[in-house]
Amino acid sequence: MPYLDTAQSWLTQSTLLLQARPATTRISSKYTITHPPASPKAPKKRPSKFSKEPTESTPAPDPNAPRATLTLKTFDPVSGATLKYSTNKAAEVSRLIQILGRLARPMCGLPEVKDDVPVLGAGGAVEGEGSGAGGVGTPVVEGAPAAAGGKTGQQQGGGAGGKKKKKGKK
Amino acid sequence: MSAGHLSNDDFFLRLSELFDERRQKDHGSIHLTQKRMGYGEDTSVEASEPTVAQPFSDLNPSNPFPIIIRATNGKSKDHRGKKIKLSTIVDAGALDGFFAKYAEICKLGMSGLKKRDRSKQKEKLKAKKKKQGISVAATEVKKT
Repeated sequence: MPYLDTAQSWLTQSTLLLQARPATTRISSKYTITHPPASPKAPKKRPSKFSKEPTESTPAPDPNAPRATLTLKTFDPVSGATLKYSTNKAAEVSRLIQILGRLARPMCGLPEVKDDVPVLGAGGAVEGEGSGAGGVGTPVVEGAPAAAGGKTGQQQGGGAGGKKKKKGKK
Repeated sequence: MSAGHLSNDDFFLRLSELFDERRQKDHGSIHLTQKRMGYGEDTSVEASEPTVAQPFSDLNPSNPFPIIIRATNGKSKDHRGKKIKLSTIVDAGALDGFFAKYAEICKLGMSGLKKRDRSKQKEKLKAKKKKQGISVAATEVKKT
């Protein structure tokens, strides 16, 4: 399983993998800065197989544009399971490291942190995600009072909400 | 590893040096890994061997394991001479403190990532302030 779309789904899947194989699973983070576009060693864009004519519509890359990426990878050498998440947003770094800290707990053999929602919300770089998690965290059985908050939360952080629900079903 | 494991504080110090180096070079990578430290002196091998009564004894260890954090600058092959390898061991009890500081160092070090675009937010804020200013002015006019 290669790249996951959101940090939340990466966390969920990695937690499951670590719970299953805490002794062998490792987490690697790679911070890479590519060569500047002017350099001969700069990564070249390969022409697509399907478009035969070279399209010059893409603008030249900005020389000052950020070129760094941060890639997280959870890998279990025994089963060969791999989970990856890649980002280029500086705002996500502290949240991602916090996630690494959470994932270190099953690695140590410590029990899971019980109330995971507030931790994520507090560290949430994106406001929408925090409120989304909070919205889903409120029990579904609860009727009208929670409905308004839940709705706005789901609209903002739909992706995160969906994943959380899946985890609950398991 | 020839140098042995560093203490947590030394590790942080060296890690930020590693990040600084990356910033000056303007390209390259830093690799960080974390995994369970299963081969320490105080973890007996017998305890982790599966038995009939406990087929998954590694899932519920009696003592929490420490974890090992490694950092390298990813130099290999021709550049192996320049390879920098750091490692430190974090005890289960010290996780929270360690990762708080770890996050701080990584946030500072990974400065090449895309900053959050605040220009739109600023525009919104300005518009809001203007509105408020107008409404305040209007109420003042009403009062007088």
